[in-house]
Amino acid sequence: MLGAHAIDIGPVGMLAINIALLSLVGWALLRAERGLPDGREWTLLAMLAIFGIFGRVLLEPLPNIQPVTVLVLVVGMQMGAKRAIALATVIALGSNLIMGHGIWTLYQALGWSLVGCLGAYAAPHLTSMPRIAGIAALSGVLFDWVISLSILHTLGSGMLPAYILAGIPYDMLHALGNLFFAAWLASPLVEMMERHQTVHLEATENVPVTA
Amino acid sequence: MSQLYGLAIFTVSLAALIWFTLSSDNRLKGVSTFLLVMAVISAPTLNQEWARMTSELIDDEGNSHNGLPDIWLGKQVVCVDFPVGAAHSDYADGRHYIDYDGTDFMTEMEFNGTGACVGGLSGYEDGLGMMLNATDIAEGDLEVVYSTSQYGVMIETIGGVDPCDYHTCSSTQGAYWSLYHNNAWAMVGIGDLVLDEDSVLEWKIETW
Repeated sequence: MLGAHAIDIGPVGMLAINIALLSLVGWALLRAERGLPDGREWTLLAMLAIFGIFGRVLLEPLPNIQPVTVLVLVVGMQMGAKRAIALATVIALGSNLIMGHGIWTLYQALGWSLVGCLGAYAAPHLTSMPRIAGIAALSGVLFDWVISLSILHTLGSGMLPAYILAGIPYDMLHALGNLFFAAWLASPLVEMMERHQTVHLEATENVPVTA
Repeated sequence: MSQLYGLAIFTVSLAALIWFTLSSDNRLKGVSTFLLVMAVISAPTLNQEWARMTSELIDDEGNSHNGLPDIWLGKQVVCVDFPVGAAHSDYADGRHYIDYDGTDFMTEMEFNGTGACVGGLSGYEDGLGMMLNATDIAEGDLEVVYSTSQYGVMIETIGGVDPCDYHTCSSTQGAYWSLYHNNAWAMVGIGDLVLDEDSVLEWKIETW
């Protein structure tokens, strides 16, 4: 998708460039967030949406590895299901404007929205990093299975179990990717969201995340 | 598969080492980073092994790949069916499916007979070239002995099986290795056969 014009960089080189770009975007957004006054919840959500869209697009060369699932999960956990659904839909549509829009966008929005709802529902129990990482890994599988439902439009329901079975290595990659992003991003994200939260959810009560 | 077990043992051992080496604050970061890198590096191998493990036989009478594993759809395949009573010692329990790298990943016990198929091949344009390479992939178990005459290439034995050892051969009757291309009797010999990108060759003994 993102070519190197006349230079032959190769897939690993392109991936390195993409990761560098994503790091740059993440660093710039982090610096910008530090300059925001507290309570700018929707501004933070917009910044997370930008990071989610870029994260998904730039990490496309890696199979099923992207930060969106963890972003949506943590937003659901800290800000509630409604905001997580909004973020999930914006990221799904925004990234697919670049990667290709179709009926799968609906399933991706649905899948990530469910992950956000799961985060909101399970928030009282997600009080430590291992728990967040565990539910993030499970969310990857949940999301993939929701996406797999899209094959019902083209193949019969009898093919669904075989399709899900064939996709297990990709589910595993998504789960491991989520474990990675949760380990590195969950604590800073929670800290950021606590600073900007305008609605304090009774369920979460801003329980600090401990390692 | 043995490579996968080795990889799994290596990964788990190193992950455990990282876990116990790092401080509690950094354990999850270190282990998740290591596991992710290992998963990305080994993803092609894992996907291939998983595809083999979960492969199913195609059930479509109108398809030349009918009865073959679905991971070979669109690929070239060579099958050898051994006659009753002449099962090759390595393939005596059914029909074996051997992938392009020599991995014997599936055995069809319900197959009416015994034999072996070598598949997942691509890029071959001539029948004999693919046949000889396929037998190499099977590590000599399907070794082909052939002669060349004015009529072209004549297959004498496959996997050490000579049709005349199992049927009466005389001046009035005989047996031979018969070639089928995409489920139809081949109109030319293996030496003259031009392949499609998803050709299926099948050898079986027939009499005249």
